[in-house]
Formats: sequence, C-alpha cells, structure tokens
Amino acid sequence: MPRTTTVESPGCPPFRALTADVLGLVKVIEIRGEQSGDTAKVVERWGEPDSSKSVLAASILDRKTDPLLGVARKTGLIEVISVINGDLRLSIPNVSQDGTSPKDDPITGLHLFKKQRSESSTRSYTLLTCTTNGSVRIESFEDSKSPADFIRDLSPTMLNVCGSGNILCSKVEEHENYALFAGKGVEVNVWDLQKCTKIWTAKSPPKNSLDIFTPTWFTCATFLCEDDHRKFVAGTNCHQVRLYDISAQRRPVMSVDFRETPIKAVAEDLDGHTVYIGNGSGDLASVDIRTGKLLGCFTGKCSGSIKSIARHPELPIIASCGLDSYLRIWDIHSRQLLSAVCYHMFLHIITGNLDLQENFCFQESLGA
Amino acid sequence: MKHNDTLLPSTVKNKERRSAILVKLKHQKKVEKRKNAKVREADEKRALELGEELPPKKIPRTIENTREIDDTICKPDDEELFAGNDADEFSSILKQDFTPKILITTSRFNSTRGPAFITDLLSVIPNAHYYKRGTYDLKKIVEYAKNKDFTSLIVVHTNRREPDALLIIGLPDGPTAHFKLSRLVLHKDLKNHGNPTSHEPELVLTNFSTRLGHRVGRMIQSLFPQVPNFRGRRVVTFHNQRDFIFFRHHRYIFETKESKQAESKGKNSKDGKEAKSKEKVIARLQECGPRFTMKLISLQHGTFDTKGGEYEWVHKPEMDTSRRRFFL
Repeated sequence: MPRTTTVESPGCPPFRALTADVLGLVKVIEIRGEQSGDTAKVVERWGEPDSSKSVLAASILDRKTDPLLGVARKTGLIEVISVINGDLRLSIPNVSQDGTSPKDDPITGLHLFKKQRSESSTRSYTLLTCTTNGSVRIESFEDSKSPADFIRDLSPTMLNVCGSGNILCSKVEEHENYALFAGKGVEVNVWDLQKCTKIWTAKSPPKNSLDIFTPTWFTCATFLCEDDHRKFVAGTNCHQVRLYDISAQRRPVMSVDFRETPIKAVAEDLDGHTVYIGNGSGDLASVDIRTGKLLGCFTGKCSGSIKSIARHPELPIIASCGLDSYLRIWDIHSRQLLSAVCYHMFLHIITGNLDLQENFCFQESLGA
Repeated sequence: MKHNDTLLPSTVKNKERRSAILVKLKHQKKVEKRKNAKVREADEKRALELGEELPPKKIPRTIENTREIDDTICKPDDEELFAGNDADEFSSILKQDFTPKILITTSRFNSTRGPAFITDLLSVIPNAHYYKRGTYDLKKIVEYAKNKDFTSLIVVHTNRREPDALLIIGLPDGPTAHFKLSRLVLHKDLKNHGNPTSHEPELVLTNFSTRLGHRVGRMIQSLFPQVPNFRGRRVVTFHNQRDFIFFRHHRYIFETKESKQAESKGKNSKDGKEAKSKEKVIARLQECGPRFTMKLISLQHGTFDTKGGEYEWVHKPEMDTSRRRFFL
C-alpha cells in the first residue's frame, strides 16, 4: 500500500449544476472563476428536508430567458421552479385524476417541453409525466398569479405504455417528437408524440447457447444524438449496455457487457458515438458504442452506486452523483477527477445549467 | 542539515560492514533515547518537588492523531443529518415503535467453531432466534423473516471451519452490511470469564465519526433493545478504530477503593500516623461473551442482492491512497 499519493486535481472550469436528493432538497452548486484553487461549493438550497417529499424525477428546461426545473416528488406533487432564484412557479398536487394514489404508482419520468403546445401568450408549461404502471400524460398548464392556482388543459393526452411490468426509464428526444419508455418486464417502446402511437418495440436478444433466457429489465436509456431519433442506448440490470437502431432491426445492434452490477445511469456524448455508463457499485466508464469497445474507466474513489450522469454541452466535463453522497466532476478526455463535493445525503438526480456568461444545460436524467 | 561525519549505512556495499555500522547506529540511538527520558523524568520530579508547573508533556504522533480530515465527518449541528436519521430505515426501531427481533442463521456448512459462536451470540443479543440454514436461498430466507416480523437477519458465514464473515440485513428493506470477522475468542476460551445474564445490555458505540460510520452505528444500534437495564450491569461495546470495529461484552461493578494519600518516600514522621485515606470509585470489568473484530466490506442499499443491487459503499483498492485515510 503506498504511503501517500496525492494527485493534484487540475482546475475545473466554471459551471453550475443542480441536484435533487432523497430528502426533497434541491441544491445548486457552482464553481466560479478560472483559478484552479476554486472548488465546487453548494451555493443554494431550496426546500426543507423532508423525506416524504423525496424527489423521484426531474427535468430541466434550459433556455436563455427563464430557465426552469421541474421536479416530481414521492407524494405525487410536481413543482416547477425557476432555476435562477428558486421561485416556485407551479405546484401541481396530483397529476393523475383517476384515483390511483401516488404511493402505488410513483412517477418515474418527467419532461418539461420547450415548445408551447398552445398558442396562448401567457406563460404555459407542458409536462410529460410517466408513472410506474405505464400511464403517461402530456398536459399543459397555464401560469396564473399564484403557483397553486393554475389552469389545466382540458384535454390532456394520455397514453398507456405498457400492459404489465414497471416502467423504470423514459426519455424524450431533443425535437420532442418521439419518446421512449422501458422498464422491468417492458421492452423498449418508441412512441410518436404527435400522433400518440407506438411506432417501434424492441425484441430481446435470442437465448444464449445454454438456452437461458434473461428476463427483460432495463434500468436506464437515452437517445444517442440530437438529430436522430432512431438510435438509442439502453442499460440493463444484467450489466449490459445495448444499442438499438429503429431503422435496422428489432434486436439490439450492439451489446457491451460491463462488470457485474446493474447499469444505473447512461449519458450520451455530443459526438454521437460515445456513451458514459455508471453502475451499481460506483464504476463510471466511457464506451464507444459503434464498435462496442470500452474506452476507459473513470477511477477516483467513487464507492457508491451512481444514480445519474450529466454531460456539459460545451465544456468537456461530466458530473456524476450517487449513493455515496458525493457529486464528482470528471474530465472526459483524461478521465481524471476534477472536483468532488460532499453532500451528506443520498443524491438521486442531477441536472445542471450554467448561468453567468453562458447558458448551458447540463441535463442528467434520473436513474431510479 | 548537519554534516554527517558517519557514513550513511546504505552506501556501504559490504554486508558485514554495513550491518556492523547499523548495529552501532541503533545502539547510539537507544542510548540517546534513554538519556533523554532520564532528563525528562528528572525535570518532572524536580518540578513536582518545587511545586512549579510541570514542563509540557509531549503528545506522541499516532496514525489516529494524523488522520486525514474527511468531508463526511458528522458535525453536531447538522440538521440534514437529523432529517436523514428520521427518514432512514432504523428510525422506527430506534424510536421504540418496534422491539428488535433478530434471526440468526449460518451459511450452508457450519462446523467446529461456528455453532459455539452462534450460542455465544444468542446470549449476547436479547430476543435472538437461531434457525438452521438447510438449503434455503438467502433471498427466500429474507422473505420468510419478513413474514414472521423479524427486524434483522444475521448470517454467520464460515470458511475453513472458522467463522469469518457476518452479514447483517435490516428488514423490511433495510441495508445489508457485510463484515469480515477476525480474531474470534469464544466465551469458554476467555480466562476468568463472567457469565452473562439476561438483562438488557447497555450499548457503547465509540468513534463512528463519518456519515458512513454513523449509518453503520445506527444499524448496530437497531439490533439491541433501546431500554437498557442499568441494574443488570451489563455492557456491550462496539469500538471503531481505524475502520476495525472491536466487539467486547463485559459485566461491570462499581466499587469504592481506599487509597492512602501518597507521602514521599522516606518520611516516617509521627504526624504521618493519621494517614488520610481518599476514597475513589472505580469500575471493575469482567469480560464475558465472545470477543471479535469486524471490518466493513460493503454496504448495500436494499436487502441481500449481490447481482442486482446497488451499493452505498463498497471498498475498492483505489480508495486506499493514504495510510491516514479511514472511512468509518
């Protein structure tokens, strides 16, 4: 065992990120300035610690004017918060109105749409919520004077995504025309949101040589690049990362096996062929999904399961958070740890944006 | 740096001469150390006699003293810690809503020291029940235990006829802690051992300073009933030092001991006939029950599921970057 090894972590470029944890708090961390001595610090904290309000899903809408963050809590409450100062814009007590209680059917996915659905001039927000039993609602809400008072769209779009099984992950692609849903016992489905129809379902890989069939269990998924809704990557409980291409075939095009614990988080890189995967024992790695080659692992004392990963849209950094209550920032190319912030609480989600000069959205999706 | 007129031993290539130089060097150091110690003692004695202040005592440098500061050390005023504590899996037991009921079982092969260890554990932990393992899957055992309202499950794993790992699973969805056991001394092997009674023991948990340590400490606390019976004078200690948790089980008794006031040697004056006696209350300990050391290998978030589970803390060799860094 070495006596002491101290690796000087190089300085971290300035950015701002938001995280949500199991006590329902939303925290903002920032690194300002270019000096390498600056470490990331928690600058703001919104909400009171209350475990019944733990955050289950979040979605960030990053735009130059009025960036927003939507959080879905365990009690079924959905809140839309302004990213800059934490003001509550909208607070929806229970989205589903057909009597299922949020305890039996918790929300697993949330998405705030960029485009307005209705043509009204007042501020309106369109949300997509997805619950474990597969009911997906797309509804618009209009803002009015107080956050608790809102006008609901009279005809929300509802989809039922799965018959049996639980939905564990959902993702809407950049242009917001298509969405995918997957989970335990549910193969990956791609739906067209304009027409509200299912356009594609995956097929599981064939039985292996011993005739063993592994049950379907997807834990996280993401679209591969902005322009192409046809390719996406999904991670499974059996430590496999699969690439699917809608235009090619229903079975996975490429599969990569990674260590031994379930893949809990997946994030795509901007170049369209690298993905970052995090698993249940804290290993973070980058994989080239075209060839299936593991490019390298991010080593750096991460001892707890990684719940979610986010990639900065401009700077070459990614952030990961997880059950060891640390938020870590890594450099993509050198795979080195740049900075780590201790949170003292299990982190569930991270989304980030940068205010100051550049407005960038650093979005991470929840890996429940 | 003073100029070394003695040769540095490592530059001498001849082994005999080199070892001779080393022996001389060591002897020199020993002599110097003894001289320094004598000077210090003389100083102290003189200061005592003259009634002056003692010269400041030097603190030895230990690895615990020089421990690397960890971000996750719990501070006493952290409200998130308290909120987290209320929310975690043990809070209902620790608030005495439920009394702990423990199920102890073993791995499939259990021989030699295993059964003796189990009987010792049954005597230490109140309200513990032992069931033979049979050929049940551990996940099924977790289900059965949940149905029968147990609050924790302890599995003693035996390797090479010696218990070497302990799995503590909190129920219903509690975390699973995997400990490595070592240095096991059974109740019958202790010299002058006492016999444990059935009073509820007091629990002493020391030095669990970080967040992870705090969580493990609460998990251990949830194994024992929260109403100690002080009259029973029985104490169970889990002491954490350098990531090793030492388990001891004692019976104690408070006694008053008379000690004559210390007179300096040689004074045998007649006034000294009325020797003042000062009473001191001391606690005498008698060890009973097993003695072992645990080290945390991994802490998993749900119940036992090595393949599909997510770990809160798992030890990785890349984390051992420094000898002064500890996690619990």
